[in-house]
This record gives sequence, C-alpha cells and structure tokens, in this order.
Amino acid sequence: MKLIINDVRQNKLSSASTVFFMAVSAMMLALTTLLFSGLFGAIDSLMDKASAPDYMQMHAVNQTFARESSVRESETEKISRFAKSRKEVVRWQICGFLNLDNSRVRLGGSSMADSTQDNGLCLQGEGFDYLLDKEGGLPAGSPGEVFVPVCYRSLYHLAEGDIMEIGEERLVIAGFIRDAQMNSMMASSKRFLVHKEDYERIRDAGYKNNIAAEELLIEFLLRDGADSNAFAAAYAAAGLLSDGPAITRPLIRTMNALSEGTMIFVIFLISIVTLLISMLCIRFLCLIQMERERKEVGMLKVLGVGAAEIMRLYIAKYFFFSVLGALAGLSAAFALKEPLEKQVRELYGAAKPELPAGIWAVAAVCLAEGMILISVRQSLKRTEKISALEALFSAQEEKGGKGRYLIIGLVAFACTFLVLVPRNLYSTMSAPEFVRYMGIGEGEIRMDVGRSKEIEQVTERIAQSLLQDRKVEKFTLLVTRNYTAVLPGGERVRLAVESGDHGVFPVKYGEGKLPEGPFEIALSALNAKELGLSLGDSLLLESGGRAAEYTVCGIYSDITNGGKTAKAYGAAKDAPVIWSVLYASLNEAAGKENESAGKKEWMEGYRRMGADVTDIHNYVEDTYRQTLSRLYLASIVSALLAGAVTMVVVSLFIRLLVEEKRCGISLYKALGFTGKDMKKIYFLKGPWQAAPPGL
Amino acid sequence: MSAVRDGPRAVTGDNLMDKVLRVENLSREGILSRITFEMESGEMLAVMGPSGSGKSTLLYHAAGMIRPSEGEIWLEDKKISGMSEDERAKIRLHHMGFVFQQMNMVAGLNILDNILLPAVQANRSRTKKTGKKSKAQLTEKAKTLMQKLSVSGLEERRITQVSGGQLQRACICRSMINSPKILFADEPTGALNRSAAKEVMAQLVSLNREGTAVLTVTHDSRVAACCERILYLLDGSIRGELTLGKLAQGEVTLGEMTDRLIKQREEKVDRWLGQMGW
Repeated sequence: MKLIINDVRQNKLSSASTVFFMAVSAMMLALTTLLFSGLFGAIDSLMDKASAPDYMQMHAVNQTFARESSVRESETEKISRFAKSRKEVVRWQICGFLNLDNSRVRLGGSSMADSTQDNGLCLQGEGFDYLLDKEGGLPAGSPGEVFVPVCYRSLYHLAEGDIMEIGEERLVIAGFIRDAQMNSMMASSKRFLVHKEDYERIRDAGYKNNIAAEELLIEFLLRDGADSNAFAAAYAAAGLLSDGPAITRPLIRTMNALSEGTMIFVIFLISIVTLLISMLCIRFLCLIQMERERKEVGMLKVLGVGAAEIMRLYIAKYFFFSVLGALAGLSAAFALKEPLEKQVRELYGAAKPELPAGIWAVAAVCLAEGMILISVRQSLKRTEKISALEALFSAQEEKGGKGRYLIIGLVAFACTFLVLVPRNLYSTMSAPEFVRYMGIGEGEIRMDVGRSKEIEQVTERIAQSLLQDRKVEKFTLLVTRNYTAVLPGGERVRLAVESGDHGVFPVKYGEGKLPEGPFEIALSALNAKELGLSLGDSLLLESGGRAAEYTVCGIYSDITNGGKTAKAYGAAKDAPVIWSVLYASLNEAAGKENESAGKKEWMEGYRRMGADVTDIHNYVEDTYRQTLSRLYLASIVSALLAGAVTMVVVSLFIRLLVEEKRCGISLYKALGFTGKDMKKIYFLKGPWQAAPPGL
Repeated sequence: MSAVRDGPRAVTGDNLMDKVLRVENLSREGILSRITFEMESGEMLAVMGPSGSGKSTLLYHAAGMIRPSEGEIWLEDKKISGMSEDERAKIRLHHMGFVFQQMNMVAGLNILDNILLPAVQANRSRTKKTGKKSKAQLTEKAKTLMQKLSVSGLEERRITQVSGGQLQRACICRSMINSPKILFADEPTGALNRSAAKEVMAQLVSLNREGTAVLTVTHDSRVAACCERILYLLDGSIRGELTLGKLAQGEVTLGEMTDRLIKQREEKVDRWLGQMGW
C-alpha cells in the first residue's frame, strides 16, 4: 500500500490520467445501462399502470355504422363471441376515437394545421388502456375540460388553463396525460381526453360540419405470456371489424423505446469507443511507466522478488486506481443521468424504483474496469520477459517512439469518430431522403385519404384536381386494400396491400426491387418476417372469390401502419379500400413558394377536399422530433467528451515526452540549442508520425 | 606468507557443507570458459581483471541471475544452475545479498522501507512454524543493521536526500536483512569517494567477520586487499589466484581499519597483478 501511495505521489500526472480514463469509461458504460434500464423501466411501468392493450385494431366508422345501431350491435356481438371463444382474452373493450380535422384545431392559440399526427378525442378507458396524469392517477375530466398529450406541452408551450379550440368548441386544458400507446411521436395518433358529454356533442356536430369523424379502437387485454401475434392472426381470420391499422403490445413498446433509445444507443457506441481509447491510453501510460521503472523492476528481481510478485504489485496499484475510477465514474453517471432522463420522465413518468438498475450499472462499471485491468495485465507481462540483469544494466533504449505517436493518431481517429457518428446520424435522420427508409416515398407532399371519409370518391376528386394543377410537377396515387393472403403453408392472413405506381416516389428497398409488373409484391420487413417470406417466395391474394399468385420481389423497411404493409403494382380492385395516399412534388415555381403563404394555401385547398395534407419535411421533423433532439444532445456530449479526451491525451503526451527526454533535451541545451529550437524539433517531428494513423 | 599459485584450486568434493559456493566448469560462449572455483563458508573472495574479462558475468552466474549454458553452480548442497527462474529468485531472496556500484533502490520508498523490502517479501512465504516475524521484529532488525552501519537516523529520508556513501551502506543493510549466507558485491565502491569507499569496505569486512561469505568483483586493489583470496580473470578464464589470508582478529574493527595494514596488502596485490601482466 505504501508503495502504491508513494508511486501515486511521485507520478501524479500519470496516476491522475489513469484514474481519469478509468472513470470516463466507467461513467459512459454505467450511464448507458442506467439510461437503458431507466427507459425500459419507465416504459414498462407506464404500460403496466396504464394496462396497455396487447392487441388493438382500429376501425373507421362509416355513415351506416354510425347511424344504424343494429349494425353496431351486431358487430359488437360478433367481437364479443370471438373474445369469449379465445381463452387468452382477459378483457376487451371498444373505445371511440374522435379524429379531428387538424386545420380546425387550435391549441393554446397555435393552429395544429401543420401537425402530421392524427389528433383525436377519447374517453378514459373503462377496464384498461388508461390515460394517466402526471401523478399516475386516472383523470376523468369534467365537462368543458380537456387533458392534452404530454408530448404537446413543450411543443405548443402549454400550461394548465390554456384553451383548446375545436371549430367553435372551446375546452380548458385541465392537465396533461401520458398515453402508453401513443406517447411516442413515432405513433401516428394522439389522444386528448375529454368528458363523455363533450365527446358526444363534438362527435354529433362533427358529422354535420366535417370537423371530426369517429374511429373505433377495438382493444384486447391478453393473459400473461399469450402470443399477441397469433392472436392478431386469429382476429384477422375471424373477419371482424378491421378497417384500419392494428397494433400489438410489443410494437408499442418498440416504438416507445425507439424514439428515446436512439440517443442511448449513440451513448452506448460512444461508451465503447471511450473504453477502447481508455484502454489504449492506459496501456500507453503503463508502458511509459514500466520503461521508467525498468531499473527498479530489475533490482526487485535481483533481490529475489519473483515476476509474479512484481506483477501483483503493479496490478494492486491499477486495481486501486480502478476502484477510484469506478467510484468517480459511477457518481458522475448518476449525476448525468438526471438531466439526460428529463424527457423520459416527462413522457413516461418515473421508472419503478428498482435495485437492478443500480446493480446493472455496477456490473457495467466492473466490466469496464475489468477489461482495462486485463489490458494492463497484458502490458505488464513484459515485466516477466525482462531478465533481472537486462532491466538493471541495459541502457534505456528509445523504444516506442513511433508507437507512441501511433497511439496519439489512433486516439485522434477515435475522437473524430466520437464527433462524427452522432452528427452523421443526426443529419441522416433529419435529411428529407430519410423518409425512404421509413416506408414513405420521397415526395414533397403526402395526402392521406382514409378511414372515416368516403375514400374512393374523395381520392378520385383529388387525383383529378392534381392532374390539372399547374403547380404539380408529378404525382402518384396509391390505394391500400385489404386482402386475404394464403401463405405457402396454407395459412390465411389479412394483408393490407398498397397498389399503384411505386416507381414515381420509390421507398428504399433493403432487398430486391420495387414491384413494377403485375403479380409482383413487395413486403415490409416486419411483414416478411412475420409471414416467413423472402425474395422469390409466392403467396396468393384472395378477393371477390378469386385468387391470384404474387411473387415477393422486394423487402423494405417501414414504420407506417405498425410496420406491416405490402406494395403491388396492380392488385385486384374488388377488395375493400382501407385508405389511399397521394404523393406529389411541386414544380420549381411553386417550390419557391415554400417559404411563403402560397404553399400553405395550396395545401389548405386540398385539405378542404377531404385529405390530410402533409409536408413531408414536417412529417419527418414531427415523427423524429424527440429522437432528433436527443440525438443532438448526444452529439454535443460526445463532441465535448472527444475534445476533453484529446486535450488530456495530447497534454499528457507532451508532458511525458518532455519528462522522458529530459536527459536528451539537457544535452542539446548544453550544446547550445535553445528551448525554442527544441520545441521546433518536437513540433515538426510529432505531427508527421501521428498524422497517418490519425487520418 | 601468501601463496601465489598458477592455476585455480581444484574442487575435491570433501566437506561439501563447508563450501558455501561451488562453480564447476562454467562456460558462456565468448565470455566465460570452463571456470571452476569454490568458496568456504565465511570466506571473502575478490575477482579482479581488466574490463571485458567477464568478471561481472561470472558474478551474475554465480548469484543465479543468469542460467549458465554449460557447467554447474552449487549454493551449499543446492544446485542452483538447474533451477527455474522463480526457484532461483527464492534462493536469492532467502540466502543471498547484493550490493552494486549503482545504488539501486526503489525511488518511491524511504530508506527504512527499502531496507525492509526483501524482509517483508521473504516473510510472506513463512508461517509461524517456519519463523514468520512480526512487522515490529523486522523493523527492529533493520534498525539494528542501520545502527551497525552508521546510517541510523536516516530511516524516513528519501533516497535522494542522502549521500552516496550513506546510500551504499543502506544498500548493504538491505542485502543483510535476510541474513544471507553469501553477499555478492559488484564494484561496491566504484561510485564512491575515497573516504566513503573506506567506510563501506570496513562494513563489508565486518559483516564477513560475523560469518557472511562475500564475493566481490573489483578493479580496486584496495578493495581486493581486504579480501582473503583473489582470482584473476582474463578473457573469460581464471589465470591466477592469490591468497592473502584473513585479516587477523583485532586488525580490523568497524571504522578503525588502519591504512598501514591495508597499504601492505594492497602493495602485495599490485605486485601480483603486475606479474599477471595487468
């Protein structure tokens, strides 16, 4: 112990640097585990408290369904019978979702016309799927009050008491709610909680003045361990209400995790790079020190202290350092966790106070320190090879000169990586082309006609209008219909297929190509995985009593419709239309109006025709708002870290170089060289040797 | 009258236990050639010869720091030339002491801790039955040695805060802390001024008087004059041996070695070296 303490006193700089690198590595890995477990803990805690459904099918309500209670009752009865027949169903419910026309909604004085989300009103869940307030309670709301999704609080700078306007209606914002299903901006809908009186009044008025249309959320709570995908298949096969997308609990969890998890993933990447840098630097420090203590090691060997004992002495010192580093790193990780978790806490509430998070963090710290100690041990093995006499009497060679510059170069390379990766990810995700990886064509404008409206007629009117519109450069119409697909194994599943010319605004195909000819079909990655199909496989699509064989020609990633979509060039048109999408790009003259009110007016015109019109740029921004802001934060943190590490490594390197070459430098000075001359020599020599690996 | 012999003394094999060190046919390519000699318990032997003659290499082989490529080395009844590196390290720790020209000490420890270092290390491998000592007992022994070698009071000093002579005497204390059977000294006075060198030699002679064998390598005929026997090494082989005999009891007491007596022995050594052609 005395030896260690004295060694630390004598080599303050190198000891402090070693502890610094050990602490940074420990901090980053601990932070990653803390944030990951915090995020998943918070998501799970919210999903449990809110009793999120295991399966939810959305269904657009048409006029007949809305007006005739007998139809409604008969469909409800069918679902009830289905639920009773399935042993895994614990509870089920049908909730209303009153889809609002965004252009008629103002939140705290700001218009929601530009919102790319489906915003709607709903009631508090009766048996499950609760909307929770900040304290985790179940607000019911009084007449005239509305509870707003928490993600809108900072976006629209809202406070309790502000007003939400829906057409002529005015509701007072009574609070904010956390929605286990739709909290993430990646979920395309947002639910506002209102009182039953208000809901019914706005719904009835909505049909008259077209400001709102009702959808049904058919929700099932399944027994623990039940397979929600198998249940989804059974529901689809039962031919129940399914005029809209469906979503399962694992998908909700993934969506929630993705928007926040991207930042944590970047931090994880950074922590791995930091660990490597630390291992490199500590090895460097260790070798320098061993070179300096070569004589002492030799002397100990001569005295009869065995190589293993010398190794033990060194390891004990580094173990002591690693304990200090681990404690410092762990404390720093707990301190940094607070600000980085702010958004997670806002969206999902606090995670259950769990011990495992701390244990995982300690385990991560032990892993980081363990890896560093293993690398130190590897470096120390050199002491075993040095014979007593070699260490005592051989002249200190100028070893490792180039190697050390190489280390500086490698550290510079790793630091550049630290700065560039989050920045690149940020620019990639914020670039307009990124939508192509999300299953969205790279158009300028996307128009959704769906759900509650008279889809085919509205689509036709808009298509005609676009055809004659001089501002439109090109457009494409894609219609999604529901088919029954027969898989090679004979299994029958529901499959939503989007038909049209996918070559006008193509998405990015991970495998294969877009469907260009008849009987070609492309599947989203999730669908391909769930259906067990790959390129070249065939499936039958049934509609109107006929079946046609399609061959899988491409696979693409998609986040729309719960990630489960398919694309064909021209599938049979007699299947029921679920929704249609029109992509358009404007010609240059119109594009210039981008900044002006002209484009907004143009979009407004099409909104009045019954489409949800979205500027794709806004869509990306909206969908990834949370992710991008966290990524931006991560990129700043990593840039600062890279800067700090580079500064420490370079200053350390210069100090060690001067210390090590003290004799040589004195000799030069004795011969008449000035301090300036010496600096010149090292400044000219260093960069040339460090540059190649750095570059 | 001292005998001057032309060749090395033959190893007879009689009274093996009285021989603290035996070197038989030791060779190392290009450096040493078929070296054979032995040392009695409590003997003080000097190896002399010009630079590059192989003196230090012979000493490091004899001390088990280098494994010989040919020949055998015995410490009493233990054949150390056949041992592994770790086994030889144990032998060095428990039975040998070392003093070098460069005063090698651990910079991070004070003088007392440096002296205690081999004792603490050796103590680790002992149990109560095999003589494990307490920290206080070890410190007591170190302090006694320091007093004997006139360096008491320097316990807490750093190695940079004492003179060369004091440091070398502290090194001798360290070499004696485990009560070795034999002490190897490589130019022990090479880096010291005349008076410091005299003090250090007085200490070595005194320790030898108490029973520790000393094998020293030196250029200095004054150092050799304190020894009982001298081997002359040239081009890696022993070319001559001079027996001076032990300094009589009372001729040397610590710090009172008379210049006159040493001078006489020194002149004899110089004459002999002249005959050897050095």
